[in-house]
Amino acid sequence: MTDLVDLDRPVPEPATGPDPTPDHTRAAGRVTGRQVALRRGVGALVVLLPVLWALQRAVPLGGDIVNRGGVPLIGALLGQASSPRLDGAFLQVVLDATITTLAFAALGTAGALVIGLLGGLVLSDVAWSRRPPRPLRLVRAALRAVLVAIRSIHELVWALLLVSVLGLDPLVAVLAIALPFGAQTAQVFGDTFDSLPTRALRSLRDAGAPAAPAVAFALLPPAGPLLLSYSFYRFECAVRSTVLLGAVGVGGLGQELVVSLSSRNWNEVWSLVAAVIVLSALVDVWSGRLRADMAVASCSEWSAGTSAQAADTGARGSRSRWARGSAIVLVPGIVLAWVASGVSLSGLTSDRTRMLASGLLDDLLPPALPRGGVGAVTTAVLDTVSMAVLAMAIAVLITVVVSPWAVAARRGVGPPGPLPWRAARWISWLVARIVLLVLRSVPPTVWAVIALLALFPGVLPGALALGVYTGGVLGRLVAESWESVSPAPREALVRTGVPGPVASLAAVVPASAQQLVTYTLYRFEICVRETAVVGIVGAAGLGRLLAENLNFFRFPVVMTLLIASFAVSIASEVISRRLRGAIRA
Amino acid sequence: MNEDVVRLTGAGRSFGGTVALTGVDLTIRAGERVAVLGPSGAGKSTLLALLNGSLQPSEGSVRLFGVAPTELSTYSRRRLQRRVGTVSQGLDLIEQVRVLHNVNAGRLAEWGTTRSLVSLVWPRPDQRALVALETVGLGWAVHERTERLSGGERQRVAIARLLIQRPDLVLADEPVASLDPHRAAEVLGLLGRVTDSSGTVVVTLHQPRLARDHCTRAIGLREGRLVFDIPIPELAGDRLDELYAPG
Repeated sequence: MTDLVDLDRPVPEPATGPDPTPDHTRAAGRVTGRQVALRRGVGALVVLLPVLWALQRAVPLGGDIVNRGGVPLIGALLGQASSPRLDGAFLQVVLDATITTLAFAALGTAGALVIGLLGGLVLSDVAWSRRPPRPLRLVRAALRAVLVAIRSIHELVWALLLVSVLGLDPLVAVLAIALPFGAQTAQVFGDTFDSLPTRALRSLRDAGAPAAPAVAFALLPPAGPLLLSYSFYRFECAVRSTVLLGAVGVGGLGQELVVSLSSRNWNEVWSLVAAVIVLSALVDVWSGRLRADMAVASCSEWSAGTSAQAADTGARGSRSRWARGSAIVLVPGIVLAWVASGVSLSGLTSDRTRMLASGLLDDLLPPALPRGGVGAVTTAVLDTVSMAVLAMAIAVLITVVVSPWAVAARRGVGPPGPLPWRAARWISWLVARIVLLVLRSVPPTVWAVIALLALFPGVLPGALALGVYTGGVLGRLVAESWESVSPAPREALVRTGVPGPVASLAAVVPASAQQLVTYTLYRFEICVRETAVVGIVGAAGLGRLLAENLNFFRFPVVMTLLIASFAVSIASEVISRRLRGAIRA
Repeated sequence: MNEDVVRLTGAGRSFGGTVALTGVDLTIRAGERVAVLGPSGAGKSTLLALLNGSLQPSEGSVRLFGVAPTELSTYSRRRLQRRVGTVSQGLDLIEQVRVLHNVNAGRLAEWGTTRSLVSLVWPRPDQRALVALETVGLGWAVHERTERLSGGERQRVAIARLLIQRPDLVLADEPVASLDPHRAAEVLGLLGRVTDSSGTVVVTLHQPRLARDHCTRAIGLREGRLVFDIPIPELAGDRLDELYAPG
């Protein structure tokens, strides 16, 4: 009994001065209880204050927000849900629009991959055998800046700008996807290349192989599975974005949706919504299967850019039937898409385009302020930010309510429960997954049009629309990441006699909360950019101002607004990154 | 009192067609310090899993403190489980929270639900938790985030959690596998101090020398069977050669 640790002895004074034990080398980094409490307090304020501010902006005291005239319209819309338009003629329209959407998405993704592959090779350090020469490094820095600028502009805004040069050409849809997606892809591919082992490339180069074949032999095969997985993740995003682009009138399901919504043919809206959801579900399942099969990275990992460490598991990809099948359909699929969409590059080089493009460039500069001056821009910026904050709050609410049900039950852990219980669990999983799918498949423009039926234009309808949509995206990402939370700590607690619910709260909630916070901050960056979407259909913020000024061809003002959007987007990215870094400390 | 802490009768466990452990008869009395030796895959971890109830035997029976856990009501089983403390190979710590939270996790079973919940939101370092951390040499790390500690430090957090749980039976699965000899001796010494002389320690090891220094009894497992069960002084070279012989 002599050597037993007596936990009831008085606590020794905290040691001051150098510590006797060797582990105490990190004395400088010690955290006190007060610091922890302070961090929590600051953290709560960082969340609470912006949300309260945004709420106050969205719902001003005494202001009228509900448009009573529009409420019956919502009723009419919902009333038609049970009788979607299903006659042959309309189904043909839906089918054509679906094919157009798929073709645009495929071509846009292909363009993005070309940009991404070239840009990625230039940006990566591995592809250069030694430190690149100084002029080249300057070119690289410039390229990086250009790519950041390109992807800070939302694809819908790109489409609006391109429409004013190219007219309603299918090329608009393809380029509007390819440019921002390509900029993002170049960044990811560059990081992917740099995360690969370099020995093979180095030995080829040492043996005297020229640069291009060496890269093709040593870099592309190991990167292949990762690049393929990412390409399909991008395609999944491109399908959704193409539906969005319909709002500017370039064709596909999105355009049909906007036409039916604005002419209030609710039964057509429902058929189109169903088509969008089915298409989106199929692409999700396909690309999800592919990723699971290759075991390189999940969707949530890709979107948060944490897949680099998965590079060494890429070898499995070569054995995957899904991966091989998908790779085989890649080229014929793109050719088919080319034929089906009737895209031609001739629009790029026509005299009219050249004239309009140079005219546009002349018109954009120098930038000018909109009517209302600096005040109008400031209001729009604040509206944009508060819309994004409120949308994120709504999205987190949806995630917290729906996602716990959307986490797939783990197989092989503990004895299987009774059959009815398992069936109920499975059904709730399916329902939660479908809810999230519907929320994210219906484009935010449609949610915004619906919200604008019942609410006066402003921050609130925009935030609602964006929040509902982002809730679907965030909920899925978070549910996917929760599936990878280790069950071991919880089981260890249950084993020592802790009741199940308490063990879950103690062991599962902290890990899950961290995932939720990380993805929320990451999605916030994107949400700021996407406020442009709901703005363009008339909610509020920079997007609305942009659309209004584009309608009247006030290009100098458009330039100012683009610069403002860029600044807001970069600022939110920097803040989100800093916060993400801070919560890891 | 020489209560039987563990009594296995013809106990075994198969996974599908694979037999991990079979026909083990074993009685461990209070106060014993038992080293479980054997090559990788011999069934050591399975044996510990049967003892802490994370696995049910597929043959024979397991009795802890004189009762079969499977025959108990949920409430009584929890009370029984509280008397068994485990350090698994993966440590099973909650990585994202402060060290204090992980130490307090050793008391969640003892605390009621309400008190547990309060402690999750507002953990207060009380004396027992501080002394436990001080004992394992981590008095400075109360408010550190667990994932920021080194492997050895995290292992000592797991031991502090055991200290505060104060179990009557301590199970440790290769607690010193990745430690240098000095640290290994230190960790085994700490494990021995988790319970008093009436408490029992069962530890799986790869180093016979550590078994001789810290245990009173050695059992050898090979291919899922018990091949020896002897007091430590009899643990001689030929026994070990037989145990670890290839093929």
